Parts: sequence; structure tokens; C-alpha cells
Amino acid sequence: MTTPAIAIRDVKMDYPSPDGVKHVLDGISYDVPEGHFVSIVGPSGVGKTTLLRLLTGLAQPTGGQIDVRGERLTGAPKGLAVVLQDYTRSLMPWLTVAKNIALPLRGQGLSRAERDERIQSSLVEVGLEGSAKAYPWQLSGGMQQRVSIARALAVRPSILVMDEPFASVDAQTRFDLEDLVLKVRDDFHITTIMVTHDIDEATYLSDDVVVLYGKPAKVSDVVTIDLPFPRSQIATRNDHRFAELRTRIYEKVRGIG
Amino acid sequence: MRRVWNWILAVLIGAWLPILLITWWWNASATSENPYFPPLEQIWEQFKLNWFWQYFPIHVVPSLQNLFTGFAIAIVAGIGLGVLVGSSPVATTYVEPIVDFFRAIPGVALVPMFILIFGLDSAMRIASIAFAATMPILIATIEGVRATNSVLLDTAAVFQLPRRRTLWRVRLPNAMPIIFAGLQVGLQIAFIVTIASEYLGSGFGLGAFTLISTDSFLIVDAWTGVLLLGLLGYALSLVFDIVERLSLRWYYGQKKLA
Repeated sequence: MTTPAIAIRDVKMDYPSPDGVKHVLDGISYDVPEGHFVSIVGPSGVGKTTLLRLLTGLAQPTGGQIDVRGERLTGAPKGLAVVLQDYTRSLMPWLTVAKNIALPLRGQGLSRAERDERIQSSLVEVGLEGSAKAYPWQLSGGMQQRVSIARALAVRPSILVMDEPFASVDAQTRFDLEDLVLKVRDDFHITTIMVTHDIDEATYLSDDVVVLYGKPAKVSDVVTIDLPFPRSQIATRNDHRFAELRTRIYEKVRGIG
Repeated sequence: MRRVWNWILAVLIGAWLPILLITWWWNASATSENPYFPPLEQIWEQFKLNWFWQYFPIHVVPSLQNLFTGFAIAIVAGIGLGVLVGSSPVATTYVEPIVDFFRAIPGVALVPMFILIFGLDSAMRIASIAFAATMPILIATIEGVRATNSVLLDTAAVFQLPRRRTLWRVRLPNAMPIIFAGLQVGLQIAFIVTIASEYLGSGFGLGAFTLISTDSFLIVDAWTGVLLLGLLGYALSLVFDIVERLSLRWYYGQKKLA
């Protein structure tokens, strides 16, 4: 059996709170296979973002452990890139688009030419080749989130983590960004974990959807999305199987399945 | 074209009151026989004699030298210490009360102590200016660096920026708008202390010139000194505004869109 990219083993997370200890996660176990796109869904406040903070090394679990490619996680794992929901606050407003993308690249031992090439190719990948010299706040929300994605791709990540990446943009932009993520997935096969509250989006993009449910949260279901690739907004979403899968996930998220 | 018009309009709106006051002063003082309030015309004639350029090198240059040297030291010390302290919650807890204490002392009040330490030469003046101006810059920097929003810090952490790079590339630029507010207060204080420090034991500098002139009943000369100080202060704040606008273009650009 091959080593999974990320092995989540019996992870528990407790927070101290005014009325004693608050149990958020209770024994989460799940293996993310190499190159897979996994979505984590669940009702609001179930602990999705907590789990994501553990996966990015921003917090340490109070029980269990997370292994990344066989090594126990103690800080941010190597080759990690993130795309956060709050693009207005995760991009540096004092840096141009190109310099924002360059920020994590410095100190990686790249030559100037290599760095410029990475910036340029990531901008092309997300369709922003004309905006290198703009400031993020001069761009629309959808374009800013594209910059976030470009910044993530430029580090050539082996793990990509996205936290509600499209929650702050309008519906049309959302579809465009989803298709961009499908293209990125096709081009790079990066092991990706996405937290979302949007069940359709999770179904549309993922190989597997992990449903968290309960207080404290456990994995209530792992749904394999066996929809064919390439996927498209119209054909895939009209697929009979798409409806079945999203219904199953929906019921699990509502705790009625 | 429209921008030029708007600019001219803004200047006119800003300038009508000063123009009115100067005109009034000029006319009201024209026939004045009061030795303390000589005619503005007489002051202006003397102003041209004194400052273009007879006294310029001996009185203006040393004042400006002290001011800029002291302020430069204050910038480096205030921002440098502020970044170090503000980035560590523990350091902030321990250092902040001391900073608050020193800030509460008016900058001018320490001049006698600095005379004890440095004597009466320009080292004393520069030290007084630097010390007094450091305080507001230090406080603003500590506050600005400490208040970095958590999303920026999370982003820096997951992209594994080293601590020092996070400090200088993320926390410091993010704090710049607050730091500039501290720099502005620091510059005003530096200007005050520059003049006040020349009241003691100096024959040179604008403060000394004005004081010696009044002591010698050279009232017209004293007025030219006061006038020049006013103009210099105004010019300094104009230059400061321009530097701030240029340095914080991202901040003002963002604010304009929001």
C-alpha cells in the first residue's frame, strides 16, 4: 500500500472555554491519496476551519496526529500553499500583483529569471497576464482570488489547501473560478484539500467529499465522486449521478442520512 | 485640465484667509509707532536683508542640521525599536510602561538634563531632538506592528516566510500608515525642541537669533525670526505630506476605492 499524501489519524481538538473544555473535533481519521482533490463539508461551526488550521500547521491537535508523506506534522508542511477566503486581507495591499506572487518565492534559492518565469507562468495559468503591475485592490474580487491562486501555484506546491475560496465572490465569478480550479487540477495534479459550505461546489470539483458532523465533530461519511472528467458546469451539473451524490452529501450534512 | 483647475481652486480656497490676514496686518501696522509691533513692511524689508542670505548660513543652516540629524536618529531608533518590541507580546508588556513614562515628559523639559550630559554644543541639541521625537514614533510603531491582522500573519506562516522576513516585509509595511502618523507628531516635536534647545547657551540657530534679538530690543529682527520659523514649519509639514502621499500610495489608493 502506498503512503497517503496526508494521513489524519484519530485527530482530536479541544479548546479551553469559559464553561470548561470545548470539544471541537473528536477522532477524525482520513487518508488523502496523492494527487486527489478532497473537499471537507459540514454544517456551519462544525470545525471545518479548525481541521484546516491543523492541516496547515497553524495549530497543533490536542490528540492524534497528522502525517504528511509519512512525516509527523509539527509546523507548516513543506510544499504547502494556501488560498484563503479573505483575499482582501491575505494579499499584501502595498505590493503589486507580481510582487505578491514573488513574496513566498524569495529565499527559495531561485534565480531572478526563474522567479520571473514562475510569476509569469502562474499569471498566465489564472488568466491575469496583463495585471502583473496592478495593485490587488485595483482588481475585482474574482481577479484578486485569481491572484491568490497564482501565488499558491507559483511555489509549485505539492499540497494545496483552500479555505472557502469562492465564498466572497458573486455567482458568475464563482463558476469561472471553479472551472479555473478544474483546469489547475488537470494541469498540475496537486493534492488539494478544500473546505467549503457549498455542497454543489464540493461535488463538482472533488474526487472525495468528507462530511463532518456532530458536536464534537466526527467524519460522518466519505463520498467518492465518480463523475467523469472533464467536468463542465452544464453537463456535469445536469448529470443524474450529480444529483444523487449531492443529495446524499446534503442529507449527511443535515444529519438526516 | 480639470485636475489643474481643481488644484488651483483648492489653493485659492486654502489661501484666502492667510492672504486676508497678511493684508490686514500690513495695513493696520503701516503707521504703527508701538516698538513691539513695527510695521509689517519694515519687518519684510529686514526679513529680506537677514535671510537672503546674510544670516542664512549662521542661523538657519545649524538649526536645520540639528533638526534633520535628530529627526533621522529618531526615525531609525523609533521604528527599529518599535518593530522589535511590537513583534513580541512579552517585550511590549515590559517596555510599554517605560515608553509611556518617557512620553509623558515634555521634550523640552529634558534639555537641561542633556546639557548636563553633553554640555552646550550641538550634540546636546541633537540628542534632545532625537530623544523627544523618538517617543511618538516608537509608540506608533509598536502599536502598528502589534496590530497586524491575523490573516496576513497566517498567510506568512503557511508560506513559511522566515520570522525576519515576516517582520520587515509584512508587519512593518502593514504598520506604515500608523507609523506615519507617529512620524508627523515626531517631526512637530523635533521642530519645537530644535528651537527651544537653542534658547540655552547658543549663539547660533533660529531660536538663539530670535531670543538674542528680543533681549537686545532688536524687535524687527525678532519678528523676522518668528516669521521665518512659521514659514519653515509650514514648509516642513508640506514636504512631509508629499513624502507620506508618495510612500503610502497603496494606502490612499485603497481608501479612495473603498
